[in-house]
Amino acid sequence: MSTPTQGNVPLLEARAIDKVYPDGTVALEGVDFTVLTGEVHGLLGENGAGKTTLTKILSGLLAQTSGQVFWRGQAANFKTPLDALRQGIGMVHQHFALVNPFTALENIALGQEGGNGLSSVDHGKIEQRLRRVMVEGGLDAPLDVPVELLPVGVQQRIEILKLLYRDVKLLILDEPTAVLTPQEADDLFVALRKFKDTGKTIVFITHKLREVLELTDKITVLRRGKQEGSVVTSSVDSKQLATLMVGHEVIPGVERSQTQVGKVVLSVKDLEVKNDLNDMAVRKLSFEVRQGEIFGIAGVEGNGQTELGEAISGLRAWEGGRVQLDGRPEEQLDPQSIYAQGLAHIPEDRRRVGMVLEFSVMENSILGLQSSPRFRGAFGRLDWNKVRKNAAELIEQFDVKAQGLNTVVSSLSGGNQQKLVVGRELGKNPKFILAAQPTRGLDIGATQYIRDLLMALRGEGIAILLISAELDEIFQLADRVGVIYEGQFMGVYPTEALNRERIGLLMGGMESEVGQTV
Amino acid sequence: MIPLALVAMGEVLAERAGVVNIGLEGILLISAFTGTVGAFSFHNAWVGMLIGTLTGLLIGYIHGVISLYLKGDQIISGVAINLFAMGFVAFGIIVVWGVHGAFNLPLEDSLKGWTVLLPPATAGGDQRFVGKISVLLPFTFLMAGFIWWVLEKTAFGLRVKAVGENPEAADVAGIRVERVRLIAVLIGAALGGLAGAYLSVDWNGMITKDISAGRGFIALATVVFSKLNPLLTLLGAFVFGLFDNVGLWLSTNAWANRIGLNYFIRMLPYVVTLLVVAGVIGRARFPKAIGQPYRRE
Amino acid sequence: MSASMSAPKTRRLGNVLGLLRPLFDVLTAIVVGLAVGALLMWWFGYDPWKAYAALFRGAFGDKWGRADTLFAAAPLVLTGLTFAIGVRAGLFNIGAQGQMLMGALAAVAVGILPLPPVVHQTVTLGAAMLAGALWGLPAAYLKATRGVHEVISTIMLNWVARWLALYLAVRLLSDPNRAEKTVSVLASTRFSVVIPGSDLTHVVWISVLFALFIYWVLWHTPAGYGLRCTGLNQDASRYAGINPGKSVNLAFILGGMAAGLAGASQIVGRPPLYGMYTDLSTLANLGFDGIAVALLGRNHPIGAIFGALFFGALNTGTHMMQYQALVPLEMVRVVQGVIVLAVAVPELSKIFRVWSLFKGHQTVKK
Repeated sequence: MSTPTQGNVPLLEARAIDKVYPDGTVALEGVDFTVLTGEVHGLLGENGAGKTTLTKILSGLLAQTSGQVFWRGQAANFKTPLDALRQGIGMVHQHFALVNPFTALENIALGQEGGNGLSSVDHGKIEQRLRRVMVEGGLDAPLDVPVELLPVGVQQRIEILKLLYRDVKLLILDEPTAVLTPQEADDLFVALRKFKDTGKTIVFITHKLREVLELTDKITVLRRGKQEGSVVTSSVDSKQLATLMVGHEVIPGVERSQTQVGKVVLSVKDLEVKNDLNDMAVRKLSFEVRQGEIFGIAGVEGNGQTELGEAISGLRAWEGGRVQLDGRPEEQLDPQSIYAQGLAHIPEDRRRVGMVLEFSVMENSILGLQSSPRFRGAFGRLDWNKVRKNAAELIEQFDVKAQGLNTVVSSLSGGNQQKLVVGRELGKNPKFILAAQPTRGLDIGATQYIRDLLMALRGEGIAILLISAELDEIFQLADRVGVIYEGQFMGVYPTEALNRERIGLLMGGMESEVGQTV
Repeated sequence: MIPLALVAMGEVLAERAGVVNIGLEGILLISAFTGTVGAFSFHNAWVGMLIGTLTGLLIGYIHGVISLYLKGDQIISGVAINLFAMGFVAFGIIVVWGVHGAFNLPLEDSLKGWTVLLPPATAGGDQRFVGKISVLLPFTFLMAGFIWWVLEKTAFGLRVKAVGENPEAADVAGIRVERVRLIAVLIGAALGGLAGAYLSVDWNGMITKDISAGRGFIALATVVFSKLNPLLTLLGAFVFGLFDNVGLWLSTNAWANRIGLNYFIRMLPYVVTLLVVAGVIGRARFPKAIGQPYRRE
Repeated sequence: MSASMSAPKTRRLGNVLGLLRPLFDVLTAIVVGLAVGALLMWWFGYDPWKAYAALFRGAFGDKWGRADTLFAAAPLVLTGLTFAIGVRAGLFNIGAQGQMLMGALAAVAVGILPLPPVVHQTVTLGAAMLAGALWGLPAAYLKATRGVHEVISTIMLNWVARWLALYLAVRLLSDPNRAEKTVSVLASTRFSVVIPGSDLTHVVWISVLFALFIYWVLWHTPAGYGLRCTGLNQDASRYAGINPGKSVNLAFILGGMAAGLAGASQIVGRPPLYGMYTDLSTLANLGFDGIAVALLGRNHPIGAIFGALFFGALNTGTHMMQYQALVPLEMVRVVQGVIVLAVAVPELSKIFRVWSLFKGHQTVKK
């Protein structure tokens, strides 16, 4: 449980913060955020809520478009992270800023060596001070081992020690438990409580309800760039938080035609997939998708859905379990054969994975199909005439607005790019579509177009796996929903059985009373 | 061995910071030329050495600006420097002295007269097995030690390594990435310039239009061979120089000549480097961010 | 004219200009190079105008000049392709020099076999291509299995090739009567001269044909599509089911073939020697110059042809420049070096604000 905070002195105050990116995206709108000295303040929200953006502004990485930040009562304008650090604000990011072959000591000393460039690094003095900091903070870490050999939990401790060594007053942690084992997470909480006792102030970003309730004194909830509320932890329960987090709009009655749900197309059993950090991101997941249904996977990003999608589509190896597509087992890491089995993949990152930005519309229209006999000519050559014909039909059918087939794809709008990708994938006449964040970053028109398209495909009997961070989309499109949290399903429910509050709870890691798995 | 070692240890510093300089060959050549011009014009070998060093510094600066600030490709910039050097030096020899291809420095202007005679013949990589050591030899050893000390023991060295390994982390720690890299490149290029001047003003006492003889590229191999450790560049330079000389000596030996052994001996250093790089002989670990311009997201 | 009517037109103009941008960069680089050359010449007391005029006349003035230009350009197209293909696949193959030497040796070795004329030429060229490709493969293998950076491995292979070639040329293939050269290849494999009195032989067609072949492979085959894809975007390539390793191998093979052909062209297409000097002097620098040619041609096969012509012209005209304006031959290398340096700077024309002169309109941006 949380202990009472000391004093009512706002340490950090942000007023009416706006952040608008050059391309027009509004990340934050009129956000107020106040942190009192000595409190543990949780920043809660789902994807795209703006938590990371806000803290980047507070720690000097980004500049706000408008609004003011006050540090210790005075107007502050941090131009660089170093600026903020010197004032006493430090942030531990999700991706650590550590130099791998360096030891912990060297990493912490970097930038703080004292003196000019040519002075020798006084290992002794640094170590002395560091050990003092370690004792004070109750954190332990081996100081002379290259950090790349250390477990992630220890690396995180070193990142924190870096900040403590520099005497930070405010410590911001961005989803710190995302990379930790449960044991390491508990150790972290113990350490954080100890910091609080020594007078440090902590901002803790998370989407996990249990954590935020357990650890914090105060919680601020962000949603879609706006501040939804700032509450004292002891006065709320998880349901209220969940509602703040995901909103409480009434879901418009979605008219969904009753389709004939057919046989199983995709069967996933006990799937285990590792992420890039070599941790298990997907833990024994099992589910099925049938013809004519849309199976939605909801959840805050970073809970394993990306790795799941990559594994099913042949872009990532899996460690254990079985995946069957159309009755036949999938080959690992072989997209071509998986496509041949009838899978189409609308990737999460269309710019990096789904297209080659420097290629033209025509060239991108055959990405994945370049070896197909459909486009072969004499001597084994690529027959561009056939490709052109196909591409022209594609952009006509899917309303891709481009100046011509030879236009470089990077000059298309996001919506048109995605329509091109979708059209191309559907041109494979798939039995199964993996749609990962299909409307991310798109304008309203393109978004609606693609959602209508997916519904239509469902009507034609195609099996669709929809991975989406957009709850509206899940509710609109999915027949059944699996909420993923820390690599496992919190449960699989028919969509009608869920409302925002329930799904918010599940996304935040809390069990719901409606525990019926379908 | 001296020029090779100097160039190699300088490049070690630059590569630890993440910058590759393929143009070392060009730097050697141009500095050899300008060093000769300097020694000749001022009738002072030391001035020549200084000018050679400064030339290296200048070229290093150009390479640095193109690769680091203009975000051009480091490899292409290096290749361009080499091309330029080949033409510029040959052209320069003609233009300055009116002779083609080579020019001999008057003895009093070169450092050849400064070499110290030692009773036992000490080659130091010198092609003629005469007993003399250049003044620069102890300097070379000291320099290797100095660079090692800088890398391992000083704050600057820490930053260099950080910048080469993970420039984002260094940036977050408040280090000016391009600036550190530029300094490392400048030091490396200056050493290259010194080595070039040594080649002409000291060792050979003359400038020829191809005096560098591929040493710039051999230095790149030496850097790999020494696993980016400045102390080991001494060993690497010695080994490479040794093989070269053995090969040369073998070409005068009748038996070896008959089976053409000298060709294979001279091939050996490069094969060895390939093996080193392939990890067959030890493992050379290159800084993760080497060769890539740093762009803050 | 209403706004809505002019908008699509300006967009189209923007697109065309977008394609022309790389050309502007190259032209700016050439101008910069020539300017620096002129500056140096003037500084040392030569007349730059006279020099450049002589250069041009020497390269293009009469039919012998033109023949020599083509003769100089022929091998450069090929070594340029070696580098260019590598870049298209996302790697730096600077092993043209070594691969070329191996091709030349193979050409000499096969060239002395008794075979009927056309067959002999085909076999000779084929052997050269094979030798070149094989010499590139260690670099490809090391990159694939051990992650060795190809810049280092190809440079090392260049040096090994040099010593190996010297050995083979001096020991096994040298002419018993004239030790400074290898044996000359038989007449059945030689290419005949195009313009009597010049060195230009019909082997020049091979260069052009091969460049066109590479263009066809890269832009009109699935494998070439995969290669270009790999060079641009590894993630999308994997998504498309393209095997990056195969693309890398293809790049090395094609590049090695090109370099090998370059070597052969200097044997079967070089009268009156029809062999090589045992000091390898006829093949010096062709590999490195190929890099410059490729850069100038923006790593495109057709561009390589033009780049090679340009450098070939420079190398040919420089003799006339020396003869008439008394400027030393080597000045041309200076110009070439500066040009390549200028090309290394991305978006050079932007820096010199040349581009903005043509970009007066506002492109409609979405």
